[in-house]
Amino acid sequence: MDTADLSHHISRRFNEDLERVRSKVLAMGGFVEQQLQRAITALVEGDSSLGESVAMDDYKVNDMEVSIDEECSRILATRAPAAGDLRVIVAIIKTITDLERIGDEGEKIGYIASRLATQERPADKYREIKHLGRVVSEMVHDALDAFARMDVEAALKAARQDRLVDEEYEAIQRQCITFMMEDPRTIRRALDLLWVVRALERIGDHAKNISEYVIYMVHGKDIRHTSLDDVERALHDGHPAGHSRPASR
Amino acid sequence: MQGARQAWWFAAGRLLATVAVGLICGWAFGNAWAGLAAVLAGQLAWQFANLFRLDWWVRHRSYADPPEFSGIWGEVITQVVRLHRRKRYHKRRFMNLMRQIQRSTAALPDGVVILNAQREIAWFNRTAGHLLNLRGSADYGLRIDNLLRQPQFARYLDEARYENAIILQPDAGNDCYLSLQIVPYGEGQQLLLVRDVSRQMRLENMRKDFVANASHELRSPLSVIAGYLETLAHDPALHEDLRPPVDEMRRQAARMTSIIQDLLALSKLEESDEVAEGGYIDVPAMLAMLRKDVLARPVHPREVRIRIESSEMLRGNESEILSAFSNLVDNAAKYTPAEGAIDLRWWVDDEGAHLSVTDTGIGIPQEHIPRLTERFYRVDEGRSRATGGSGLGLAIVKHVLQRHGATLHIESRQGVGSTFTCHFPPERVIDADVQSRAAG
Repeated sequence: MDTADLSHHISRRFNEDLERVRSKVLAMGGFVEQQLQRAITALVEGDSSLGESVAMDDYKVNDMEVSIDEECSRILATRAPAAGDLRVIVAIIKTITDLERIGDEGEKIGYIASRLATQERPADKYREIKHLGRVVSEMVHDALDAFARMDVEAALKAARQDRLVDEEYEAIQRQCITFMMEDPRTIRRALDLLWVVRALERIGDHAKNISEYVIYMVHGKDIRHTSLDDVERALHDGHPAGHSRPASR
Repeated sequence: MQGARQAWWFAAGRLLATVAVGLICGWAFGNAWAGLAAVLAGQLAWQFANLFRLDWWVRHRSYADPPEFSGIWGEVITQVVRLHRRKRYHKRRFMNLMRQIQRSTAALPDGVVILNAQREIAWFNRTAGHLLNLRGSADYGLRIDNLLRQPQFARYLDEARYENAIILQPDAGNDCYLSLQIVPYGEGQQLLLVRDVSRQMRLENMRKDFVANASHELRSPLSVIAGYLETLAHDPALHEDLRPPVDEMRRQAARMTSIIQDLLALSKLEESDEVAEGGYIDVPAMLAMLRKDVLARPVHPREVRIRIESSEMLRGNESEILSAFSNLVDNAAKYTPAEGAIDLRWWVDDEGAHLSVTDTGIGIPQEHIPRLTERFYRVDEGRSRATGGSGLGLAIVKHVLQRHGATLHIESRQGVGSTFTCHFPPERVIDADVQSRAAG
């Protein structure tokens, strides 16, 4: 009786630990989302001080990554989790790396935004970037929502958005090239903008990675470097439709 | 009760009669004990059969009327049925009540989310689901801060100051604003109220934009007017009769400029309601500078005393804090007669840092104090015009202090003087030694 009670107690404490780390990851995600949105606002509205403050705040993302990483190591060392729990920890460690990279890209956008704010702003070009930024932030948001809900369908849907981001990236790139050929004076600004678009595209890739970790965490399937259609087929064949909650844990 | 007792007496009597009949019959046939055993066995079989019927009814047919029982069994069954019916009646009543409460909460135009002690979603109504993008019962049991990940909301939950609501923009892409407020109840449970305040926020933004734009647009024509008045005033050809009106016009133009400056400063403060972080402020040095400014005025109080009781630094935005403190000191200087004195005091205790500005001026009637920080609020129309204030000074002070998590406390007695005290929270105080070590 006593030992059963003790093991119950330990597993409850372990669950609490796991849940706390998961919440910390999502809090970090929330901050990264905010950084991204502020960076895009700084660029579109030409707010140099906002851009600077985004770049200045990146250290907070790094601090969060370090603290979550340490906590994960501690859990691995002291609790030696297995199966589903181990997958959660592994997925968390990977997710925070991608979140930190998203933070870095946001910092880059903020920095470029503060530099571009002093220059004349072309009204039409930023609209495209604004739209791309919106798609990308939604992707990050949906990926984190899927992480919070352990929802495979939503994760797949978020990962699928990456194709749209890639297409938009190509389109804006072509547009920038046209501008540069038409008027060489815009080359400097167009190059800066290309950096921003590239950063947004990278953020889309990181968000896709996070969605993939969600699928790994729930089903234990590593779907990196696999086409999404194959993944969906495999998931639906192997599991009853509508199964979106983890069976273990 | 009476019936039950009668039934029991009757049952006991019948048992006794049965036993007696058994004994007599047995004695008649030569073995009294065998007769007794026979009737008792019969009695036992009858009871057993009744028990079996009762059990079958309870198990399979309890919703229907009970089978007919005779004697004491009938009495017991009637009691059981009565209890059962009463329970079912109460249950139905509670279910109805529950359903009504749930239906009325679900129909509320405001969103309601019930959270348990771990901040996990226990229930939410349709509006909340729609506003916060929650999905049916699949989201029950999820922590609310895992889905509402805005750092602002996390801070609100951590600080646990639930008397105020916070305004969040759940999706930066569109103009949707939500007001969220936590209402604690029961044992650790919380109610999260969600309201869509997009319309109010849009109107508020329009108002702010209007004030900022209007002040900005008024500035250039005013500077032209002020420039010409300046030239006119120094023109030796100006007729002597015109000199007083021109001087008055110059004074009024200067006052208008200061009002517009203050309006612009206020709208800049309103633009972002984030907590100003900024750097480290050397308050004693700032006070010394303000003292010099006061003494440089053409008419100034005889004495301006500074009492520094601690060397700690203040963390905040230096230009904002300077404008707040200088507004307080200016006010004190304005309303204190030349023979009066102003006391500036800076001290730190367990509750944080404090700055007080005490004057020996005319004082403020008690009933005006709560409204002093409103824009353009005048205690006395004539007096403020004479001193040339913009009517926005204390509004600026209030805004700056709010952005630094500080509060303003006003004490005043008419004819004796007033004390304005700023209270800064402890986390805004930096030990000067630590600061210099970190810098070095």
